[in-house]
Amino acid sequence: MFGKSRTSLAAAIGVALVASSLAACGGGATDPVSSTSASGSASANTGGWTRDYAGTSLNFIGEATANTAIIEKLLPDFEAKTGITVNVEQAPYDSLVQKAVLDFSTKKGNYDVLSIPYEYLGAFAEKSYIAQQNDFVNNPPAGLGSDFSASDIIPSLWKASSNWKDNWYGMPSNSAIMMMFYRKDLLENPDEQTAFKAKYGYDLAPAKTWAQYKDIAEFFTRPAGAKLVGATIADPFYGVTLAGKRHVATVLEWMNYSWTNGGDLFDSAGQPAVNSPQNVAALAYEKTLTAFAPPGFTSATWDETTAQLQQGTAAEAITWGDTAGAMEDATASKVLGKMGYADIPVAKEGDPTEGHLGSWTYAINADSKNQAAAQIFMAWALSKFVQNELAKQGGLPALTSTFEDAALQASLPYWKQELSSLNQSKSRPRIPQWSGISDALALGLSEALSGQATPQAALDDAQKKIVALMSGALPVTYQ
Amino acid sequence: MTGTGLAQPGEVSPHSVQRERVTSAELRRHRRRSSVLAQAPSLLVLAVVVVFPLLYSINLSFRSYSLVTPNHTGQWIGLDNYTRMLHDDDFHHAIVVTAIFVVAAVALETILGLVVGTLIDRLRRTRRVAVSMLLLPMIVTPLVVGLMFNFALNAQFGYLTWAMKSIGLTAGVGALNSTPGALVVLVLIDVWEWFPFVALMVLAGLQTLPKEPFEAASIDGASTLQSYRYITLPMLAPILGVAVLFRATEAVREFDKVYVLTGGGPGSATTVNDLYQYRVSFLDWDLSYGATLGLVSFAFVLLLSGVMYRTLSRKEVQR
Repeated sequence: MFGKSRTSLAAAIGVALVASSLAACGGGATDPVSSTSASGSASANTGGWTRDYAGTSLNFIGEATANTAIIEKLLPDFEAKTGITVNVEQAPYDSLVQKAVLDFSTKKGNYDVLSIPYEYLGAFAEKSYIAQQNDFVNNPPAGLGSDFSASDIIPSLWKASSNWKDNWYGMPSNSAIMMMFYRKDLLENPDEQTAFKAKYGYDLAPAKTWAQYKDIAEFFTRPAGAKLVGATIADPFYGVTLAGKRHVATVLEWMNYSWTNGGDLFDSAGQPAVNSPQNVAALAYEKTLTAFAPPGFTSATWDETTAQLQQGTAAEAITWGDTAGAMEDATASKVLGKMGYADIPVAKEGDPTEGHLGSWTYAINADSKNQAAAQIFMAWALSKFVQNELAKQGGLPALTSTFEDAALQASLPYWKQELSSLNQSKSRPRIPQWSGISDALALGLSEALSGQATPQAALDDAQKKIVALMSGALPVTYQ
Repeated sequence: MTGTGLAQPGEVSPHSVQRERVTSAELRRHRRRSSVLAQAPSLLVLAVVVVFPLLYSINLSFRSYSLVTPNHTGQWIGLDNYTRMLHDDDFHHAIVVTAIFVVAAVALETILGLVVGTLIDRLRRTRRVAVSMLLLPMIVTPLVVGLMFNFALNAQFGYLTWAMKSIGLTAGVGALNSTPGALVVLVLIDVWEWFPFVALMVLAGLQTLPKEPFEAASIDGASTLQSYRYITLPMLAPILGVAVLFRATEAVREFDKVYVLTGGGPGSATTVNDLYQYRVSFLDWDLSYGATLGLVSFAFVLLLSGVMYRTLSRKEVQR
């Protein structure tokens, strides 16, 4: 009798401790104890989030980026509101795709929710690896929190990342977009402006055309011991940084040069056009930029270019908007407050610009045994609370209202540009053969940038491989 | 013949011969049965981890199967993958790069290992310290070796890049960013990591050599160099052969360091065979073609090992 009471007492204390710790993790915003009862539905204390799936455990895998790290930090809020626990796994791009595909193909359903790069949307949808979300999107179930509103998700971003052949497969988990980063402190320096005008005959300003972009790169490339904004530099300074490794990062960057030069991977008839004159010219242009890039660009991906910008060794770059947080990180950045953000340059002033969309999407494994709980998690990740936290902590949200938030626009120098670039974004092909296309291009671009092949020869070779790869799947009528 | 049908002393009866034959046949059968039974558990494990994947790969190599493209669902395509391999320039290039890597790395490791092993054998007090230090590179995971050198060879901040620039070995770009430089660096890193293995094999071999031939040579007036050239080296040859066999089969499978340091680039300058297969199977997701390449590589390594093993065995018999 006594033993039983003691056990009950210990259990009660344990429950109280767990409950209080959950409340603490939730920042005091919720009181899971009062709203508990696993079977109880939504209450005011849970912010309208259902607790029908309390006790469920989800496995989630996302790319090892700021967004996933922040989501992981915010999980106590989700667990307090819904009673659903989430195990998070973070992995680099290649590794994440491999883990996802192996899980899908073995039909184990180990990962319930996956944040996947949108270029795999077609492949995973066609293979029925990920569950359709038409019902969830068109008729959202009751029990989604009051701070979730699907209509607030940026429409173009959502469609590009999650809609395949008029079916919905998820919601955007990352709104990465490529833009131009430039050192505004250098470009606004009066001495540099005077010297630039004397040399090139026009005013120094953020590049609007590729010709200007190259001039700025050339102008700011300085050896150690030279002057930069009036001070002698101990180390060489470079006009530009770019990715040249045999890696998808190189492919994605080059596509900006190609698109804004009138090129594309497929022509209007849906046939491969990798070696079109526009694409060859774009690659030849990128090759000329390498003269102003730090040594080692042939082994650089987005990691190295971000580090070089953040450590203040390069003046400009075409890179990912989700690295802007790193530039404005007071604890690690040497260019805090010195970086400017602008549209991708174009061939001629007045041409429409196009930024490369790099969105990721939350998708639910078709073999998951926790479909409903996984949908709740997906909606919570897109809730206003989470999206605002993403913005404040250096991640990228997917809601219009978060990008239009006046306080965020005032505090984050890159905020307006992110939304502007998203509104003029372009998607890469989301067809199932993308991984092979990307690999063939990575080889060709790397060979051309490292000087092993001419741009024409490199793209001719890539074209040959892509034609073979697409055998039986041409013309491409939907991408 | 005695005509009595009885065996005389010293004569062997046909029955006893037959009995002995029966007994020895039974004994052989019994031995065979016992040995099969004793090995059954390990054979079973081997079947699961080696035979099944091998048979599965063979089956896959005659099909078209991708985990991401919808129209490649494992349909039978006969020898198409093998025909494709014969015309695949990237694969041929990867084979050439692998061959250069294996020959250069193993040759340097053997020479350096032989020299260092011999020198350490002559040490008395510091031998243990030297052997411990030799072990260090080998106990580091290859992936970590790659990451270590990735920092050291960073084109802008790497200390090895700085050192090489100081002595004029590299110009503006880092060693990993030039076409011949990247492969040379990968070979040298492999040598750094694995020459101690050869050195330890040589050291172990030297300590087992008999003293008599050296004493005889000394009496005959042979110099140290002559003793080394005509006695030590020939006696060490089988051990060196085993070391080369081990290292060659390992080097053919090089992946980790290349993956971390160059990703096969610049361009395809350092795309070794395993990395190419990885790209085909896990970036292009063409598992059936990847299986074909894997099988052919497996057959080649098996053949190489067989030839080297037979050569070594023959030399051993001759000795």
